[in-house]
Amino acid sequence: MKQKDFFNINRLRFLQYASYLAVALIAFRLMDIQLISHEKYALAAEQNRTQILYQTAPRGRILAADGKTLAGNVPSFSLYYLPGSQKVDKEYLSSLSSDIASFLNTDSKDILKLLNKGVKSGKAVLIAQNISPKRAFSFSELEVYYSGLYLLEETKRDYPNGAFAAHLLGYMGTMDNKFWNRKEENTDYRLNSKIGKSGIEKRYESELKGRDGGLYLEVDYMGRVKQKLKDNKWAKGADVWTTLNFDVQKAAEEGIKKSITGRGAAVVLDAKTGAVLAMVSAPDFDPNVFIAYGDEGIHPSAKKIPEYNLALQGMYPPASTFKTITGIAALENGRLDLHDHTTCKGKIMMNNREFKCWKTHGPNIDFMEGMAQSCDVYFYELALKTGANSIEKIQKLFRLGQKTGIDLSGEKRGNIYGPSKRARNRTYWFAGDTLNLSIGQGELLLTPLQMAVYGAALASKGNIYRPYYIQKIVDPQGHILKENKPEIIARAELKEGHYEIIHQALKGVVDRATGRAARVEGIDVYGKTGTAQNPHGDDHGWFLAFAGLPGQEPDIALSVFVEFGKGGSSAAAPIARNIIKAYYGVK
Amino acid sequence: MFSKDNSTKRSSIDLVLMISVALLALIGFAIVFSALSTSPLGQNAFRTQLIALPIAVGAFVFGWLFNYQIYSEQYKNLYIFIMALLIGVLVFGITQRGSHSWFRFGIISFQPSEICRIATILISAAFLQRHKQEIKEFKILVLLGIILLPIFALIMMQPDFSSVVVTAPALLILLFAAGVNIYYFCLILAFGLTAGIFPILWTYLSLNPTLADNFFAHIVLSLKDNIWYILGFSIFIFAICWFFKQLLKQFRVEISGVLIFILAGAILSGFFSGLFVEKKMKPYQRKRVEAFLAPKSDPKGASYNVLQAQIAMGSGGVFGKGLFSGTQSRLGFVPERHTDFILAVLGEETGLFGTLAVLFLYALLLWRTMLIATLSSDIYGYLVCCGIFGIFFTYLIINFGMLIGLVPVAGIPLPFISYGGSNLVASMWAFGIVENIYRRRLTVI
Repeated sequence: MKQKDFFNINRLRFLQYASYLAVALIAFRLMDIQLISHEKYALAAEQNRTQILYQTAPRGRILAADGKTLAGNVPSFSLYYLPGSQKVDKEYLSSLSSDIASFLNTDSKDILKLLNKGVKSGKAVLIAQNISPKRAFSFSELEVYYSGLYLLEETKRDYPNGAFAAHLLGYMGTMDNKFWNRKEENTDYRLNSKIGKSGIEKRYESELKGRDGGLYLEVDYMGRVKQKLKDNKWAKGADVWTTLNFDVQKAAEEGIKKSITGRGAAVVLDAKTGAVLAMVSAPDFDPNVFIAYGDEGIHPSAKKIPEYNLALQGMYPPASTFKTITGIAALENGRLDLHDHTTCKGKIMMNNREFKCWKTHGPNIDFMEGMAQSCDVYFYELALKTGANSIEKIQKLFRLGQKTGIDLSGEKRGNIYGPSKRARNRTYWFAGDTLNLSIGQGELLLTPLQMAVYGAALASKGNIYRPYYIQKIVDPQGHILKENKPEIIARAELKEGHYEIIHQALKGVVDRATGRAARVEGIDVYGKTGTAQNPHGDDHGWFLAFAGLPGQEPDIALSVFVEFGKGGSSAAAPIARNIIKAYYGVK
Repeated sequence: MFSKDNSTKRSSIDLVLMISVALLALIGFAIVFSALSTSPLGQNAFRTQLIALPIAVGAFVFGWLFNYQIYSEQYKNLYIFIMALLIGVLVFGITQRGSHSWFRFGIISFQPSEICRIATILISAAFLQRHKQEIKEFKILVLLGIILLPIFALIMMQPDFSSVVVTAPALLILLFAAGVNIYYFCLILAFGLTAGIFPILWTYLSLNPTLADNFFAHIVLSLKDNIWYILGFSIFIFAICWFFKQLLKQFRVEISGVLIFILAGAILSGFFSGLFVEKKMKPYQRKRVEAFLAPKSDPKGASYNVLQAQIAMGSGGVFGKGLFSGTQSRLGFVPERHTDFILAVLGEETGLFGTLAVLFLYALLLWRTMLIATLSSDIYGYLVCCGIFGIFFTYLIINFGMLIGLVPVAGIPLPFISYGGSNLVASMWAFGIVENIYRRRLTVI
């Protein structure tokens, strides 16, 4: 072996190790990119190559108890232009844009601008959305003439009965910041997605939503459409079955709207379950205006709506309907003798102050007559006998002044008062306050919903139900996502026979006195009118009622409130009559 | 590994090296086919690659059978031949991709600078072999520089920066392995670093205009065009070097004033070379430097290419999406997918297995080349092996490095894998020569 003295072993080693180091470094980084961060890059690659044209899924329907559709879906179309590989000249685009514009009633220059943008970038452009099926038909003809036009079928919310139960159903609208920031919970929302903004639409947004579909297009690095990758079918949202009785709701709405002011609220409950059969608040609105077809031309002023739901947010003095409470208090206290009678001289003097009755009723006013005629003087005297404390106790027994617990946001709790509450607030209680309290005036405030729940408690002899308006929510596969069962929050127990006395008194109101306007032939109707004094204008009219078939337990309980209606017997009672007729199907 | 004595085996070809080369060429062929299938170049380009393959195999066999010592004997003629090719391409060549560096014969075009890279190594090795007694002297370096300067000048006139980017580090590795005085070696490094750093500094400062108020940044920026600043800088460098000499004296290290003078000269000539590069830099080349310095600043700009290449590799995962199925490359997100960014296509379609396989085969090539260098029967074979090792090591670092963000995008193909007939032929020839050195390892001169 000859001696190889010409190479420098140390320097070779150095080069050798340098190359090992470099190879190791590169291998490590390759593993980082291709193994550790693979998912991040895979997602980026997928986003690179796909452009998605979303299709809004049909929302779940909102149905009345009998299956009538209260909120459904109708087809709505979006018009896209997909620039393909084919060459287009200026004339083609300008004739296309003027044809599109003639169908959409817009300026053809705007359309041309969009088309040019699409051609330049090679990306699909949305030319128009929310197109009605009628217009879409015209576009489908254009689709044949012009390659590149693409009509995508979507759906939009539709309320076939217009303003029907609008406050309970709610309406749809564009997302606000607050919702957008929460959207991580469900990523199926886009900037132009419509969401429920109030009522059931808002409360059950996630159930109603469904999953949007999409047309996945493969695009190259210039964004040019290469091919259709897949057509993801949407998934329909779950149907919400309400407890609303279509006919009852209709009767209640028509009644309130045709009353002398057209303003007010009505709540009808199933007296045996607490289910909401109708809930009306007027003035109302047509939720369709927010989601109208683009070619319908809705005036923006139509979108200023009365969102205030009087049925659970409006608070008013219960007035004479409260005499039932005073009566129960006296009964329970043992201070009521059904045979006692008094003479109504139209007023009573208390501490040099005059307390008026609405009418001079004359002699022989006993409990039944006092209730039937709604004689204030009788109840002033009854209240003085039983005392304000007992009345306050009965208010609490029936949970007045507390939320009814209905699953709707914004419910008000109303206001009750009495000597103990005054004492807590370190103010005084005067005898005059007792008189005011006995006829439901003063600081007392109740919502129509609370009134109806109270009515149901009277009707069912003490069951205070949590009112509910959702029967069940059923997804398209038939799975029940939610089901409501009647829930008794509390029992208002009275002594033996006392409910029957109240029922008898209330039946008398309807059969022969102030509540005659609510009489229905062949149905036992129990009711109490109320006329709330309003220092700011006309008095409000109340009617509290429940009804049942003769000799049977009452089926429904309701409250009708007509704002500025002047009187309970004139304004509210006839509406109650129509509601009861609708419920029993009496012509 | 060097201790292993392979010289007793009488095989005439290193099978590991040959199989590695064959496998790389095979993988490259499949990947180029896939990358070209959707490219606008398409069928024609693939046909060229098909034609190049047998020529490349021929080049390998030629290299293997042809006595490598003849390159050394005839190195002057080789030099003349290369010069003729380079001058010829400037006169008769055609322009592709902004460079005037192709000969065209019918449907085949041929890039002489690819052959020049190997030839430069052969010539330099021959020169160093003749002066192995004086290898530690500075004049050798100067002489070698004078010999090679015309070649580099002609290549720069095409211009073909990438050729210089690969050959210069390879020459450094060759000189290092040849046993050049480490001090001179450092001088060359100082020159190269100054030449490289100044254009990068200037680009960096232009990217960050807020820094211009800084005292040092202001000086550096003024050096670009203010003659007084340049003069001041030159004096400053000499002063610093003299101060350095005085400092070393404190530690009882004596260095002659001439050497210090040469050091300052090397740094300054590096600076002027950098200035020259700065002035000659094309906009797209500046974009690449910018993208390297600030990859996230402009995702749709120059760094977009690297990002898309990384997305392609990363999305391939471990097993890849399969040949002809890479969306990133097929849909055109990966730029230059059949040449400079071929690794992105490889990574996307064959996954980590593919990239690691290619990396491993390259590591094998480098290892065997080094091993054969130690087995060589004479110093010429040793030097040629080291030079070829240098070339392919540089290719590896730059091509993989640019994908993983280690070095700026330099527009350099990956031999065997990338599209390009001339490069394939030259690379096969180079490893043919290595095989010949192995074959003649036992020959006594």
